[in-house]
Amino acid sequence: MPKNGMPTGALILLILRVLRSSSLHGYAIAQRIHILSSEILHVEEGVLYPALQKMLLKGWVTSEWGISETNRKVRFYSLTAAGRHQLEAQQSDYDRVTEAIQTILRTA
Amino acid sequence: MGELLRRLNYLLHRRQHDRELEAEMLFHREMMGKQHTRHFGNTLALREHAREAWGWTWIERLLQDLTYALRILRRSPGFTFTAVLVLTIGIGVNIAAFSLFDMVALKPLPLRDPASLVQLQRRSPTRTTTELPLPQIEFYRDHARTLSAVIAIMGVPPVTLDDDPQPAHLTFVSPNYFTEIGVQPALGRLLNPTLDGTLTAPPVVVLTSTFWKQRLNADPAIIGRVLHLNGKAVTVAGVIPSSFISLGNNSADLWMPIPQQPYLVEGSKLLTDPGAGSSRMFARLAPGTTARAAEQELLTLTAQMRTLYPNDVWDNQFILSLPAGHPQIMLPDVIQVEAMISVLMLLILAVACANLGGLLLARGITREHEIGIRIAIGASKQRILRQLFTESLVLALLGSLAGLIVSIVALRILLVLTDAPPSFTAIPDWRILAFAFSIAFLAAIFFGLTPALQIARQKHRKPIARQVLVTAQVAASCVLLIVAGLLVRAMHHTLYNSPGFEYQSVVSVDPQLGQHGYKPTAAGLYLAQLEARLRAQPGVLSVALVKFPPMGHTVARTGTEIQGKHLTIYPNTVDPDYFRTMNMPLLLGRNFLPGEQHVTIISESLARRINHGESPIGKPVPTDDPVTGQQDIVIGVVGNARINALGDTDATEQYWPAGPNDMPYISLVVKAAGPASSLSPAIKSISQSLDPKLFPEIRSLESLFDEQVKVVERLAAAVSLIGLVALLLAGIGIIGLVAYTASQRAKEIAIRLALGAARIQILRTILSQFALPVALGILTGIALAATASTGLRRALYGISNLDPTSYAAATLLLVLILLIATVLPARRALRVDIAKALHND
Repeated sequence: MPKNGMPTGALILLILRVLRSSSLHGYAIAQRIHILSSEILHVEEGVLYPALQKMLLKGWVTSEWGISETNRKVRFYSLTAAGRHQLEAQQSDYDRVTEAIQTILRTA
Repeated sequence: MGELLRRLNYLLHRRQHDRELEAEMLFHREMMGKQHTRHFGNTLALREHAREAWGWTWIERLLQDLTYALRILRRSPGFTFTAVLVLTIGIGVNIAAFSLFDMVALKPLPLRDPASLVQLQRRSPTRTTTELPLPQIEFYRDHARTLSAVIAIMGVPPVTLDDDPQPAHLTFVSPNYFTEIGVQPALGRLLNPTLDGTLTAPPVVVLTSTFWKQRLNADPAIIGRVLHLNGKAVTVAGVIPSSFISLGNNSADLWMPIPQQPYLVEGSKLLTDPGAGSSRMFARLAPGTTARAAEQELLTLTAQMRTLYPNDVWDNQFILSLPAGHPQIMLPDVIQVEAMISVLMLLILAVACANLGGLLLARGITREHEIGIRIAIGASKQRILRQLFTESLVLALLGSLAGLIVSIVALRILLVLTDAPPSFTAIPDWRILAFAFSIAFLAAIFFGLTPALQIARQKHRKPIARQVLVTAQVAASCVLLIVAGLLVRAMHHTLYNSPGFEYQSVVSVDPQLGQHGYKPTAAGLYLAQLEARLRAQPGVLSVALVKFPPMGHTVARTGTEIQGKHLTIYPNTVDPDYFRTMNMPLLLGRNFLPGEQHVTIISESLARRINHGESPIGKPVPTDDPVTGQQDIVIGVVGNARINALGDTDATEQYWPAGPNDMPYISLVVKAAGPASSLSPAIKSISQSLDPKLFPEIRSLESLFDEQVKVVERLAAAVSLIGLVALLLAGIGIIGLVAYTASQRAKEIAIRLALGAARIQILRTILSQFALPVALGILTGIALAATASTGLRRALYGISNLDPTSYAAATLLLVLILLIATVLPARRALRVDIAKALHND
């Protein structure tokens, strides 16, 4: 399985975040994350689609069929109310943890 | 909840979802292809991985495994048939045994609220009885708050109905009996406390449907008809429906209210005597009360009752409650028997499983090729293991299904043969289905897991696992055969050894003097007259008096400690003519003299247990219990007579001379020159002329003995069947294994034959690998049987649990069967066509 270092929890947080402003299809999600991270993070389909399936199961996102920029039928994902809620919760969790790690790295 | 719905929705539309995912990923790949072409994975695997989020992959794999397993099994019908046959036997006997247990001990009786019904037994540390005196039952009934109702059931000897020579079975019950257990009449009315609760109420009787149909020709005008029971007129009030099952397994035909007992049994004081145990006591626990709380309250009440009846409450008397809502009330010895049966049944299952395990291992070798390919194309060991185990599970479920059908058929036959009440059915309930399913799963683990592990690891070439399985199978078969042999031998012992007394031409006559209110002097006078009249009768050889006649309704048994050893003694009270009438030899000393007291005669078995080689005459029977007052002196030793314990050859007996106070409770035994039954009319007419109130119960000892023998014979047949099943299974298993091994080595055999080896030598090589496991299995089996059978001691009357004959016979039989089972297929292998075998491959 191609998995490149990114923990699933973090990936879900990133997906939630990029979906906050607009609904995107799978490939666009991967691209957005890749570009926004200054081309550091690669999201492989081997981890992207399991994560999206899990988010569909949890009810954080819904999917809808639409037409892509290349005129193909493709599935667009958008955030649900539960997804927004989840994003806030995960974001604050993440902030707290990174802050704590930063503190340790600065002082210890 | 939402998540579960989404999950289910996915399961229902999973094909569509899969297509969507495929399209989506294809699109992704296309987009990606424009920029760079790295990281192309296996699309199928990627998709499968993504699908796993929904948690349904196991179902898909299971379906896949199942289809594959069914295909594989269909392709080798011979193996599948053998496996299912073995499992049908192994699982079928377990399901049948459990169904029986379920029927008698788990299914509630079809009565109102069966869960709150209890039977109450009267106990003390040294005594136990199910029959309580009526005044004591009434005291408990009137004062107990933890019991919402109390039911008394008084069994009495059979009565005569009008002038029908066939006896009728009557039971007295408290008038609340039918209303309390919620039985509705089929005709007329049943008993009820308002109409039948008083001594002055008109005497009524209710009949079972069977009795009404068979003995009264289903008379449509039965209600209100007057019947004469023992000459007393009683009116028929109603008929009980045919679906009725009684509380506590009572098979009476006629039911009367207890207050009518003195009317029917003239002069009886049972209703008011606080010391005479007469009735079984059942009760319904008040809502929300536990049986424990009821026992506690009854203990307190017993203390209060002691002030009322100081002489009739036992020291340390307490009341034990047992659940009574099932056909079988679970007493400790019943539980012990059930446990023994379950162990035997599980052993059969173990034999079947070991058997099948060996076959599966052997089959693993032929499947080496197939499994090798599957591993080569990327199947994980786990997946192979799961696949193999699914096959085993399918086999086990098929076997379980067949076993279930066999057990239903067997049970139906049994129910028809035993004339069971209609509410007993062979239709399985949810417990039996659950049991059948669990035992299939258990069996699959037993027989399928080890071979599956071995095959998945591709280690099955090592014969060690197969040898262990052969050992286990031989050991378990050996235990089963030995146990079956022991039980059958014990039964034969009871059947064909003389019980030690004459029964062929003797009848017992119980005039029931005490129950009719006879006092000692009157009873003595009556008995003397009856004896004299009987002796004058032509065809009567001798007459004697005895308190507990052979195979009677009452058995007295006392336990005592003698020189630190526990001993069960069957006491009896007899007159000097008794030993002669019963053909019991006087071995030492002398007989009782007329009117003699404070002397005792003991059986040979008791003499042997208490005086090692010394003569017991002239001394009292030693006891470890504290001695109070004068002890009775032993004056004689008579032959053993298992009068009231036909099955128990360890029984010891002790006799006392009958004194004047025993007279109300005395029966007679009469020995005839010809068939004993010919005496009945004469005895009846003599009794009528002496006292028309009395209706002596006349029983032929021969027919009583035959009845008991029949029960034992049936048991022996059942046990032999178990042993036979074990033998059959062991045979099938070994034949399969040897045939298999031989076919594996066909080429080697052919080469050796071609090179001129002697057949016998080759035979020896093939069989040598089985010699050690079989020998080891037999030794283990014998050791296990010797240890386990100590638990059987109580069932093994008359023989030791290490009885060498049983062990030798069982072992010999097993070795013989195994020998046949090995030589037959091996011989076939030797008749191989050398050229053909060598050209193969």
